[in-house]
Amino acid sequence: MRYSTKNRLLSGSAIVTAAFLATGAIAQEAIIAFSSGELGATSYDPIRSSNLNTATSMIYDRLVEQDADQSFHPHLATSWEESADGMEWVFKLKEGVAFHDGTPFNAQTVADWIPDFIDTENAYLTAAIASVEVVDDLTVKFVMARPEPNLLYNLGSAFMGIPSQVAYDELGENYGVTGAVGTGPFKFESFDIGLETVLVRNDDYAWASDLSANQGAAHLERVTFREIPDQSTAFLELKTGGVDILLGVPTDFLEILAAEPDVSVIQMPGTGIIYMPINVTSAPFDDPLVRQATGLAIDQDAILNSVYNGVGAAAHNFLISSLPEATVADGLNVSHDPTRAGELLDQAGWMMGEGGARMKDGKPLEVKLFTENSTEFNRLTQVVQAQLAEVGMVADITVFDSSTIRDEYKADRHQLAVRGYDWNNSDILDWFFSGERLGYPNVSMWNDPEGERLNKIAMTESATSAQRIANFTAYHEYILSQYLFVPIYQPTTNIAYNATRVSVPDPVRGTRFRSQTLIDITMVE
Amino acid sequence: MTTRTMAARSFDAFARMSVGRAFGSTVGKIAGGFIVLLVLTAIFAPWIAPFDYAAQNLANGNTPPAWPHLLGTDEFGRDVLSRVIYGARTSLSVSGTAIAISMTVGMTLGAAAGNFGGFFERAVMTVVDLTWSFPDILIALIFVAIIGPGLTSTTFAIAIAYLAQFTRLTRAQIVRLKRETFIEATINLGAKPAHILLRHLMPNAIAPVIVVGMLAIGDGIVLEATLGFFGLGAQPPTPSWGAMMSSGTAQLFLSPWVIIFPGIVVAVTVIAVNLFGDELIRALDIRDRLRGA
Amino acid sequence: MLARYTFQRILMTIPVSIAISIVIFMIVRLLPGDPIDNLIRVGSSPAARAELVAKYGLDRSLIAQYFTWVSQMFRGDFGDAIVLRRPVADLIAQNLPYSLTLGGLAFLFSSVFGMILGTVSAMTRNPFVERFVRGFILLGSTVPGFWLALLLILLFSVQLGWFPVSGARGWDSLVLPVMTIGFGGIALVARVTRVALMDAGREDFVTLLHAKGLSRGTILRRHLLPHAMLPVVTILALRIGWILGGAVTVEFVFGRPGLGSLLIRALGQRDYPVVQGCLLMLALAVMLGTLIGDVAQAAMDPRIREAKS
Repeated sequence: MRYSTKNRLLSGSAIVTAAFLATGAIAQEAIIAFSSGELGATSYDPIRSSNLNTATSMIYDRLVEQDADQSFHPHLATSWEESADGMEWVFKLKEGVAFHDGTPFNAQTVADWIPDFIDTENAYLTAAIASVEVVDDLTVKFVMARPEPNLLYNLGSAFMGIPSQVAYDELGENYGVTGAVGTGPFKFESFDIGLETVLVRNDDYAWASDLSANQGAAHLERVTFREIPDQSTAFLELKTGGVDILLGVPTDFLEILAAEPDVSVIQMPGTGIIYMPINVTSAPFDDPLVRQATGLAIDQDAILNSVYNGVGAAAHNFLISSLPEATVADGLNVSHDPTRAGELLDQAGWMMGEGGARMKDGKPLEVKLFTENSTEFNRLTQVVQAQLAEVGMVADITVFDSSTIRDEYKADRHQLAVRGYDWNNSDILDWFFSGERLGYPNVSMWNDPEGERLNKIAMTESATSAQRIANFTAYHEYILSQYLFVPIYQPTTNIAYNATRVSVPDPVRGTRFRSQTLIDITMVE
Repeated sequence: MTTRTMAARSFDAFARMSVGRAFGSTVGKIAGGFIVLLVLTAIFAPWIAPFDYAAQNLANGNTPPAWPHLLGTDEFGRDVLSRVIYGARTSLSVSGTAIAISMTVGMTLGAAAGNFGGFFERAVMTVVDLTWSFPDILIALIFVAIIGPGLTSTTFAIAIAYLAQFTRLTRAQIVRLKRETFIEATINLGAKPAHILLRHLMPNAIAPVIVVGMLAIGDGIVLEATLGFFGLGAQPPTPSWGAMMSSGTAQLFLSPWVIIFPGIVVAVTVIAVNLFGDELIRALDIRDRLRGA
Repeated sequence: MLARYTFQRILMTIPVSIAISIVIFMIVRLLPGDPIDNLIRVGSSPAARAELVAKYGLDRSLIAQYFTWVSQMFRGDFGDAIVLRRPVADLIAQNLPYSLTLGGLAFLFSSVFGMILGTVSAMTRNPFVERFVRGFILLGSTVPGFWLALLLILLFSVQLGWFPVSGARGWDSLVLPVMTIGFGGIALVARVTRVALMDAGREDFVTLLHAKGLSRGTILRRHLLPHAMLPVVTILALRIGWILGGAVTVEFVFGRPGLGSLLIRALGQRDYPVVQGCLLMLALAVMLGTLIGDVAQAAMDPRIREAKS
C-alpha cells in the first residue's frame, strides 16, 4: 500500500521524482537474464508465435493462472463455470481492466480474440471452442465443439495472454516485434531481437491475480530482459553485478553460487525434459532393435550425478514426473542396461568389431549426433557420445546454432540429436510426435496410423480430465513402445538473484517465473 | 611436368640455401627448433600423449594441474596435456592444408593475372582487393555459414580467407620481374610466353610467396582457433586448440587452465612461426620485395 | 593534379561497386536454408508457403530480384528484414553507432599508443627498450583476440571487478573491448611508425636539420612525426573493414551489439536482406577507406598520381 501511494506521487509530479532521485533513491530498475532455453524468441505475438519467452507474461494477462500445485486461480476471469456435459463454459470478467493503449478489456475483447487463433500454429489451443458469445459486457460464454478438459490449462498458458485487438489489427505482421500491447503490469518499450527487451511499469495496473502479494502496480519501474547466449557469461554478469536476476542457472554453477554471499538461489520444479530424439527414417535407426539399444546405452543416473551434480532428476519417459500421464506401464520406462543393449545390437546383426565399433556387412555403426551451440548441450552431448561408444556405437557430433539445426531437421539430415523442451502438459506429445509436423517439431520423423489414431483420441476425444489422462497415457505408452527417443534428464528451474540489489519472493508462486512474481519483487534499499 | 620439376627444383634450392641460413641465428634456432618439435609432437601424438584424448572420467573433472595430469583435466575429466598434444595435429594440419591450397590457387591466379594483364587482371584484382580488405574472420564465418561447420569447411574457409594475399603477392612479383632486364632479354630472344612464365618468372617469384605462406600458417592457426572458439571448427571430441577454449567464460571459474594452456600454445606457436619467418626473410634478403605487395 | 587523381579514383569505384553488389547478392543466395522456414507455420499448406515466398519476392528471377534490390537501395531503402520485421536501414542505423564507437575508440587507442611505442622504438638506442617493443609488437600481432578478451575478463572483471563482463551499457563496458581490439592495432601502428620514422631519419633533409643544430626533439616533433603520420593513416584507412567487421569476435565474447554481430545473427537466421545490408555497409566502408588511403598516399607521393592516372 505504501508503494502505490508513493507511485502516485512519483507519477504525479516530476519535481517530486527529481527530489527522490536527489535524495539518493536508487533507480527502480532491474536487469534480468533469460535462461538459455528461452533465447531466440523473435516475437511477442502470443497468437502466432510458437516460441515465447518469460517477458511475454509481463506484457499480457491471462484469464486464469495456474499455481505450482496445478490449481487454477482467477485473473482476468473472476469466476467460471463448466456445464455438466462440458459443452459450455461461462466466464465472468474482471471490471475496470484496460490495455496499455487505453482500450477497455471486456467480453467483446475475448470474443474478438479467440477467432484470431484459427490457422495459426497455436490453433490447437482453441480448436475445441466452436464460438464465443457475449452475454453481457463482463460475461462471456464459450460454446464448445467438443468437451475440452484441458481448456483452463490452455487459457493459463503464455500463448493465451490477451493482446489489444486495436494494436493487433493495426500492426498486422509486425505485431509483437515493433510493438505489443496487453493489460499486463509492464508495457513493451523496445525489443532488439536476440539482444534485449525493455519493459516499463504500467502505472495503472490494479488487477493482479491472488498469486501476488502486491495488488497494485509493480515496484520496479523498468525491467530489462537480456539475452546472454553463453550461460557462463550470464553467471559472471550476476556475480559481477551486471545482471540482477538470472532465470535458469546451470546446475553446475549452484555450488559456486552457494559460496557467493550476495547471491541467493530459488529452486523450482522444472517444467521440461532433455531428451535425444531418434530419426526413425534414417538407417540404422529404421530398425527398432537399434533404437531400443540406443535407449539402453544412456546412463541417466550417471549424467544426473556428473553433469548435473545430482540436482534435478533422471528422465525415464517423455513427460515431467508431476504429470499423471508420466506414470506408464512397467517395462516402458527407459533405463540404463548396457548388457541388454549389446544383446539387442547383436540380434540386429551389429557385431562388436575391433577398435570398439560394431560392424554389419562391413560397415561400422557410425551415426550423426546433432546438438545446439550452448555450454550445457555441448557438455551433455559429449557425455552421451561417450556412453554410446561404450555399446559400440560411434557418434559424430555436429554443433549447430538453433536456427540452422531446424533447417537440418526439416531437411531430414539428422539421426540423433540432444535437445530439450519446456512445457508442463501432456499435449507436448502431440507437438513432438504428430505426423503433421514431420522434421520439426517431430524430429523423430514418426508417422504411423496407430500413433495418429491414439493422438486424435487424446487430443480431441476426451470428455473429462480422467478420460484425458487415460487417453494421453495410452498415447504416451505407445510412443515409448516404438523407441522414438531417449529420455535423459529432468532439470529443475534455478533462479538466482543478487540479494544486495533485489528481493524475490520465495517460493515463487505459479508454475514458473512470471508476472505474478515480478510485481512482488522490490529493490533492496 | 615442367612446372612441377621447376617448382620443385627452385624450392629445393630455396630450402637448402635459406632454411639453413635462417637456422643460423640464435632466434632462428630457437624458433625453428620449436616448430620442428611441434611438428614431431603432432606426428607422434599417440606415442607422446600420456592419456587418451577422448577418455572421459566424469568423477575426475576440472582437476588443477598436478601429477599425473600435468596440465589438469577439463570438465569431462579428460587430460588437458594430451588434448593439447593432439590439438597440435588439428591446428597444424588444418592451417597447413588451408595455406597450401590458398598458396597454390593464389599463385596460379596471381601468375595468370600478372602474365596476361588486361581485363582478366583487372577483374581478378578487383575481387581480390575487395576480399583482402575484409577481415579474415568475417570471410571465414560467411563461408562456414554457407557450407556448414566441420574440419573440411574450416580448412576451405581459411584457404579462401587468405587467397587474396597470395594472389596479390604473386601478381606483384610477376609484374616486377617482367620489367627486369633478363626477362626482357628472353622475350627479345623469342621465347614462348608459357616458357617464360614457368622457367623464369615463377622460380623467381616463388621464394617470397613461400615465406609469406610460412607466416600465413601462423595466421591460419589463429583463425582456426577463432573458428573453433565459435564452435565451427573441429567437432567434439576431436581436440583443437580453439575448440578447447570454446566453453568460454565458464572455464575461467571452474578450470582456467583449460583456457590458459591452449592459448599459450597458440601464442607461442604463432610467435615462433613469425620469428622464423622473419629470419627467413632476412636470410633471403627479400624484405623489399615483400613490402611492395 | 591531386584533384584529377581523386576524381578518377572516385570514378573507378563505380565498376567496383557493381561487382560488389553482384557478389553480395549471390553470396546470400548461396546460403543453405530458407528464411521462409523460420517464418512459416509448421505443417502449413504449400499454397500458404507460395504466398509468403511471393510476398518477399523470392519467386521472381534472380535478375529481377537483383534489380529491384539495387533500385530500392538508391532510394535509401534496404528492404525489410524477413525475420526481424523492420527496415534493414533501421537495424543498421541501430547497430552502426556501437561499431563506430568501438572501432573509433580502438582506432584512437591503437594510434596513440602505437605511435608512442613506434617512436620510442625508432628513437631509442637502448637495446632493452628495443627488445621490449619488438616483443610487444610480436605479441600484439599473434595473440588470438578472443583469448586476450577472456584473459582480460578474468583479470579486470572477475578478479578486480573494475569493468562489466559483457553488454554495452555505459562507458565502462567499452574499456575491455577497446583494449582487446586496440592491442592488435598497437602492434600494427607501432611497426608502421617505426619503419616510417627510420626511413625518414635517413632522408637528406633530416641530416640537414641536424647540421643546422636543431635538437633531436624538435626534429622529431616538427619534421619526422608529421612525415610518419601519413603511412599510419594510410594503413589504418586501408584497414577500416577490419575495424568495423573484425570486431565480430570481440562483440561475440563481450555480448555487444554491432554490425559484425548483427551480420552473424542474420546469417544464422537466414535473414537475406539484413545479411545483404550489413555486407554492403562493410563493403562501402572498405571502399571508402581504400579511397582515403589511396588519396592520402597520392598526396604524399606524387609518383603514385602519375603512375596511376
